[in-house]
Amino acid sequence: MAHKDNSGFGRRPFVASTAGLLGAILAGARPANAQSAARRGTLVIGLDISDTLSLDPLRVFQYSNPLPTRAAYEGLVTYDPGDNITIKPALATEWAYLPDGKTVRFKLRQGVKFASGNPVTAEDVRFSFTRTLNVKDQPFQYISHVDSVNVVDEGTIDIVLKDPTLPLISIIATPAFGIQEKALVVANGGTDAPDAKEKDKATEWLNNNSAGAGPYRLTGWQRNQQIQMVRNTNYYRGAPGYDRVLIRHMSESAAQLLAIQRGDLDVAFNLIPEQLATLKGNPDIDVKGAISLDFIYMAVAEAPTNPALQNKFARQAIGHAIDFDGIIKNLAGGHAVRPVSFLPVGVNGSTEALTKEIGFNENLAKARELLAKAGMPGGFKFQLAYGNAVIAGVSYQNLAQKIQADLARVGITAELAPMDQVNLRTMFLGGKAEAVLTFWNPPAPENWLWSSATINRVAGRVQWKVPPEMRQLVADAGAERDLVKAAALYKKYQEGMVDAAHHFVLVQPVYQVAVRKSVSGLNLTAAGWMADLSAAKPI
Amino acid sequence: MIRYVISRLVTAVVMVLLATLVVFLIANTVPGDPAMAALGDMQASDPVQVREFRAKWGLDLPLWEQYWMFLQRLAQGDLGISIASRRPVLDDIIDYAPATLELATIAFLLSLVIGLPLGIIAAVRRDSWIDHSARFISLVGVSAPTFWLAFIVLAIFYGWLDWAPGPGRLDPIAFPPERITGLLLIDTALIGDWETFHDALAHLVLPSIVLAASTLGLITRTTRAAMLDALNQDYVRVARAKGLLARVVVTGHALPNAMLPVVTLGGLAYANLLTGAVMTETVFSWPGLGRYTFRSAVAVDFPAIMAITAIVAAIFVLVNFLVDMSYAMLDPRVVKK
Amino acid sequence: MSAAAILLPRIASTRRRWLRRYGLATLGGAIVLAWVLAALLAPWVLPHDPTFVNVANRLKPPSATHWFGTDALGRDVLARVVYGARVSLSVGMVVVLIGALFGTLLGAIAAYARGWAEEALMRATDLVFCFPPIILAMAIAAALGIGTVNTVIAMLVVWWPKFARLARSLVITQRSLEYVEAAQSVGYGPAHILLRQIMPNAVGPLIVLVTLDLGQAILVFAGLSFLGLGVVPPTPEWGAMVAEGRELVQQWWVATFPGLAILTVVMGFNFVGDGIRDWLDPHARTR
Repeated sequence: MAHKDNSGFGRRPFVASTAGLLGAILAGARPANAQSAARRGTLVIGLDISDTLSLDPLRVFQYSNPLPTRAAYEGLVTYDPGDNITIKPALATEWAYLPDGKTVRFKLRQGVKFASGNPVTAEDVRFSFTRTLNVKDQPFQYISHVDSVNVVDEGTIDIVLKDPTLPLISIIATPAFGIQEKALVVANGGTDAPDAKEKDKATEWLNNNSAGAGPYRLTGWQRNQQIQMVRNTNYYRGAPGYDRVLIRHMSESAAQLLAIQRGDLDVAFNLIPEQLATLKGNPDIDVKGAISLDFIYMAVAEAPTNPALQNKFARQAIGHAIDFDGIIKNLAGGHAVRPVSFLPVGVNGSTEALTKEIGFNENLAKARELLAKAGMPGGFKFQLAYGNAVIAGVSYQNLAQKIQADLARVGITAELAPMDQVNLRTMFLGGKAEAVLTFWNPPAPENWLWSSATINRVAGRVQWKVPPEMRQLVADAGAERDLVKAAALYKKYQEGMVDAAHHFVLVQPVYQVAVRKSVSGLNLTAAGWMADLSAAKPI
Repeated sequence: MIRYVISRLVTAVVMVLLATLVVFLIANTVPGDPAMAALGDMQASDPVQVREFRAKWGLDLPLWEQYWMFLQRLAQGDLGISIASRRPVLDDIIDYAPATLELATIAFLLSLVIGLPLGIIAAVRRDSWIDHSARFISLVGVSAPTFWLAFIVLAIFYGWLDWAPGPGRLDPIAFPPERITGLLLIDTALIGDWETFHDALAHLVLPSIVLAASTLGLITRTTRAAMLDALNQDYVRVARAKGLLARVVVTGHALPNAMLPVVTLGGLAYANLLTGAVMTETVFSWPGLGRYTFRSAVAVDFPAIMAITAIVAAIFVLVNFLVDMSYAMLDPRVVKK
Repeated sequence: MSAAAILLPRIASTRRRWLRRYGLATLGGAIVLAWVLAALLAPWVLPHDPTFVNVANRLKPPSATHWFGTDALGRDVLARVVYGARVSLSVGMVVVLIGALFGTLLGAIAAYARGWAEEALMRATDLVFCFPPIILAMAIAAALGIGTVNTVIAMLVVWWPKFARLARSLVITQRSLEYVEAAQSVGYGPAHILLRQIMPNAVGPLIVLVTLDLGQAILVFAGLSFLGLGVVPPTPEWGAMVAEGRELVQQWWVATFPGLAILTVVMGFNFVGDGIRDWLDPHARTR
């Protein structure tokens, strides 16, 4: 029998005191944010920076770190937001190929200062490039065809190429080739000597400080937490609008959504289509679209393990059985475009109209016809591998299941094989996969980088024996400096890619970035560094 | 007695080493090649660069040699260099450990502060409605999947009611304090920055409640069972018969004896919290060891995986060792074989 | 007073007392039974196909046609939740029953044999206990590859030791008792003594652990699926469904319902297990 409670353990005071304590802790812990001057002078950006490995420019090649790198370092040339074709001057005012064909001479802008106050000199430019060439991290791969960089005089620099047919200027707009202040880098262990790969020790310092001439200066990086930058009052285009820039790591898009609604964030980069619908009609927030040059594609290999895939018509059938529009409209929320093949929409020679003309389009009758032609009217089976990731709100998992359902309509069975990134890359890069869903993001808006990749390393991954005409086509198109002629060559190249049916580009995202209306002048760009912070200022 | 202590200690060390060996072997059967994941697209396609990378990280050495190198470094306190983050694993761990330590400790204290009294009351007033509520609450805590609870709690208290702050350790615009220990509550208190202290504490509320949920359930149930056991002992009946106040009987006689199983369970529970925060840390964007462990596992980052295993195993083994020691001291029968 | 007047209040109070003691357990049993029935009858009872993709219909809130709404690919959430029960319940049963069988056998034999066999068992179980179960299961699942069978194998490795330990401690309590000595002196073989004499005395706590662990196994499997291991799509699974809906705070139904499913099933098993434990507890009978 339960006895009367005189044990002294009253539960009511206990519950009340706990609730009271919690209330006291939570109340007033959320500072009135928008009003304080410090808050107004800070641009808070929400971005998933978990893939950032370094902020030393010559080691920057991930997805998230070009943004702060571009803010801290200014290159010789750049792209204006929204224009991926015309190269604009930055620290260089003009450039030209010399008569020998393999030297490019740059005239440097005078009177530019680094964030430290020291002037930008030709020697700094030479040092930056040489350090990159000798440390040999990933960005070096894009300019491996550069032979040397030489100072001509105080205002002029030469870049000498090993192979004159390969492009250069579009590539050096990438933030990885931002100009570094030699004195500062050397003082912290940097070197441009030929053995820089072993001897350079400046990366640790450069991960927390910058030595550049960009609108903001790096002052700290806490891994997977935030990147802190402060205004560079010496910026040559005029002091930028914010005192501080904070890039907050937020891997959860739901967290970014809630944070921007509350004003904890000014900019949210990683929202997904489902959440953007919530922001429609929000009086404080604008959603801006930025067409990107990235895309999600399915690579289908002539795998030795699968005889069906060796047949070109069978592969082409795949391309005509996919509900591309449904994917873009529903899975990507309509915020995407689709190119013909490996050249994203927006670069020279690639438009959406062209996709309708020569690209893959949903046509079940044609798919069945192609299957019959391939000798497999009942369809065939193949394995589709993918990683556990979400790009621009589209998860590989959902995309794979959608494709599986689409292809089943004509009898093609896609067996899904989710795997971790390491395993996936090992299989795919090792040429052992049958089909893979993966992502391509370019280091720079230069067509040749895509086309040459497809006939070289990517061809190996899909076991494609590239015909010599294709190789010639790619080389000619890369060397052609006239934009109109190049476009025509690239059209032929894309027709060849469709015929070979190794790559099906599914989604080229138009990134939706939420920006609070209190921020003006934030220009989004597809060129690789997401946004140009130099003109941003509080209203 | 001394011999017992030494033998247990030796066993403990062997356990830790065996644990690392097991994980090393498992990790090596993973088909992925860490070189592929760590290198950029162009580098990974160049066999020469891949070979260089593998040579640099010792990935092409025979297994036993790799493990031997690991042991040698471990003996010197060097935990190796992470393939994923390119810096010493020890630095990574020092970076992420305080966040988990803080979260786990607060969660543990929370589960004690709520669970102990709840369990005691439930036992004292058995089969009453409060006993049933306590059992219900603790069972819900033990039954709810942590990852789901985290989502629900965040959606309701942050998303809908706006009572609690969002994911992360601090507000986006807060200035984090100078790092002394890495524990925000301590660092801010040491320099007297009470505003940030308040902010950090508020950010700890939701994730620690979620993390504490299952431990709370466990502690409540164990305390209740232990108290029931103690209350049924003869000495308690004698005390009651003597006419002592119920409160005195409970606190002075039954409680101390009930505490032993709870204390040992508590130790293990704390160790579990430290190492089991993966789900909570993921949903709350908490930069701690749980998330680091998961990402290292997925990236097949051998040095990180081995180091974490060694540390986790060491924690568990240490706690077990202490528990065994306390039992041995209290019950001499255990020592005799 | 009539017999009825004396007996009736006693019967009523007995029933009330039984309800108080075993009310929760009965509730738990009902919940588990409901889920099992739902899992078995799923194909005949549900109006929608759990794998039918219709992206134009995605993320619709709960309505008359879709009681739990639709997910990111337009599939009916209710159907996926019910079909998910099939996966979770079967995995839970396989892991716990096989783990219990294997572990109990090993633990009982080692405890009865004593000596180095017992020591070896203790060290082996210690080794597994060094790891948080989810980390070890994750490592093994990652090594073997994603898939239900591989995950079950990973979980089995982690699951048998606790049964071995429990069996061992139960056998230890029994092995020095007189009836065992008596049986040995009469000449019964160890197998007979173990199976026919000792184990029946020990079976109670084992059953409690099995019941409680069924819920635990479902939780761990859901957790592994949440992290991306576990089932291969498009098989519906509760943990994976919560992962899909994690970002969709506005479309709360995608993550909430599968989570509720896990919660109710595990609670059901916990209630039942607790009830069995209470029933076996000698102290309880006296009050």
